[in-house]
Amino acid sequence: MKKLLFFLLVFLAPVVSFASIDTIAVDVGISVFKTMPLGVVPFNESAGIDWIEEHPHQILTRDANLSGRFDVVASDKFNLALFSRSHAEYYITGKVEPQKDGKLRVECYLYVSKSKDLLLGESYTVQQKDLRRAMHAFFDEVTLRLCGERGVASTKLAYVSKIEGVKQVVVSDYDGFHRSQVTRDTSISMMPVWTLQNKGLVYVNFKTNRPRLYTKNFGGSEKPLFSQFDQTYSPAVNPRTGELLFSSTKDGKTDLYLGNTETGKARKFAYLKSNQTSPAWSPFATEVMFTSDRGGGPQIFVMNKDGSDMRRVTFMGRYNERASWSPSGDRIAYTSMDNGKMNIYTCALDGSDIMQLTNNAGNNVHPTWSPDGKLIAFSSNRSGSYQIYIMRFDGANVTRITQGGENTSPTWSWFYDNDKQQTKEGAK
Amino acid sequence: MKHFAKIAVISCAACLALVACSKKEPPKTEPTPAPAPAAEAPAPAAAPEQPAPNADSLAAEQARLEAERLEAERARLEALINQIMSEDVYFDFDRSELTEKARELLAQVGELLIKEKRFTLTIEGHTDDRGTEDYNFTLGAKRAMKVKEFLSAYGIENERMESVSYGKEKPKVEGENEEAYSQNRRANFRVNIKQ
Repeated sequence: MKKLLFFLLVFLAPVVSFASIDTIAVDVGISVFKTMPLGVVPFNESAGIDWIEEHPHQILTRDANLSGRFDVVASDKFNLALFSRSHAEYYITGKVEPQKDGKLRVECYLYVSKSKDLLLGESYTVQQKDLRRAMHAFFDEVTLRLCGERGVASTKLAYVSKIEGVKQVVVSDYDGFHRSQVTRDTSISMMPVWTLQNKGLVYVNFKTNRPRLYTKNFGGSEKPLFSQFDQTYSPAVNPRTGELLFSSTKDGKTDLYLGNTETGKARKFAYLKSNQTSPAWSPFATEVMFTSDRGGGPQIFVMNKDGSDMRRVTFMGRYNERASWSPSGDRIAYTSMDNGKMNIYTCALDGSDIMQLTNNAGNNVHPTWSPDGKLIAFSSNRSGSYQIYIMRFDGANVTRITQGGENTSPTWSWFYDNDKQQTKEGAK
Repeated sequence: MKHFAKIAVISCAACLALVACSKKEPPKTEPTPAPAPAAEAPAPAAAPEQPAPNADSLAAEQARLEAERLEAERARLEALINQIMSEDVYFDFDRSELTEKARELLAQVGELLIKEKRFTLTIEGHTDDRGTEDYNFTLGAKRAMKVKEFLSAYGIENERMESVSYGKEKPKVEGENEEAYSQNRRANFRVNIKQ
């Protein structure tokens, strides 16, 4: 009898552990998304401007192409035949005049192609170095007018850039321009996320020889966070309260903690036997996605913000990690490993309707949604080194936005609530 | 990679500095009582004519021997520390279980630590370049913990060991191939000397 029991134990044990890795095959879908053709005509530029930046129509063309919403129909001058044939019902143009104080006065117009009715007119008086930001602001107005939604041309990305061999946190405009360095340490900085209202960043630094969270407001000084914990990383900012969900490892066990960055107080978020990392808030902070290794490898789970009702989300493959919740709340983007290669997928909240967004192009990791949900930024080593790319939410239109060095781990900012003010102040 | 090498050198240097400092103290307390009776004992037996030059050369000789002994001790500790720091423990992909080879190696490290009571360890867990930064931190932590648990079971006090995960941030070998990966899926040690 004892022998039989022993036999059962020995032979059933592997069966049980296999059962916990319940992998099922799921079809990968393809989405069709229609973009709007948009005519772009070069601005009427006064002679005598010494161009150092790109010309206004070039900046707007790039915004339109990156937006995931428009297809640019380029034309040297207004061309109704071309616009009609290409179904470009609207077009953008404008004019640029130098001012006495060296600034540029830029008038931007959005017209209906057929009737030449003016839909939108804005003017900006800026230094040439701030022209880009002014054009982004105008393009966001165009998006709002034509799509009824806010565009992301004035948003930013935080990411990690290797500078003189050390990973540093940097911030740039969403299109990779106007890059500025946030950390200047001799030790690794990584995993930047934006605090509310884009006031600053939370990130990980190794200056104590352990991964530890820090926060820094732009223009302010660095402050260590939750130093009562040993190793802290994987920060996720609650989009409503600004509280921080993060991973902390103690004695080899990794758990999620919820903390207040002002008071420094934190408590364990969920009491689970498995290790948990990579938390991601739902848009209204009612639920949290995270990665657990309770099936052996990493898989994505979801639970309510009080730690109840935990469900497994990903079932396809053995390595699904780092969920990022879409702003509309209906899908997640995540990274999956297959045959040692990392690729980006999205799926519905119950794990169904899986879409593979990257394929056959090196490793593709760290997806982050634009605040309008139309785009996903990620890092890929398809060119030989890791660089930041932007693609549409369905994987189309992949555009590289960083050049040179090594750039990883992008996190998209929130919307800027004071966009207009910013561009006006940009002249300072 | 360069950076890591730098850290290794620094911590090595720090260790040596510690050895140098810490080794000076015990000799001060130990040998002082020892030569005292030695100096006294011959005094009554031998003639008291030439105690001065004798004591001087004796002291000089003793100092020389002591310096030699310190130097040898320092070299020995340095060799041990280098040995421990070079003994990396390797893991299989996405696993934190110790292989047979890892256990053998860790048993040797355990033996050294039992003999050298003043050594304390920082156990660093690492992963290869594949996978996400976040999950690799947890994986590196699990690896470091497995090593700590083994050494704890071997008889090393938990207070002498701390574990930390570097995830995939400090590869030993750069490159996107199994050769590099297998070298990077590791736990390694930093040795400090307790006063």
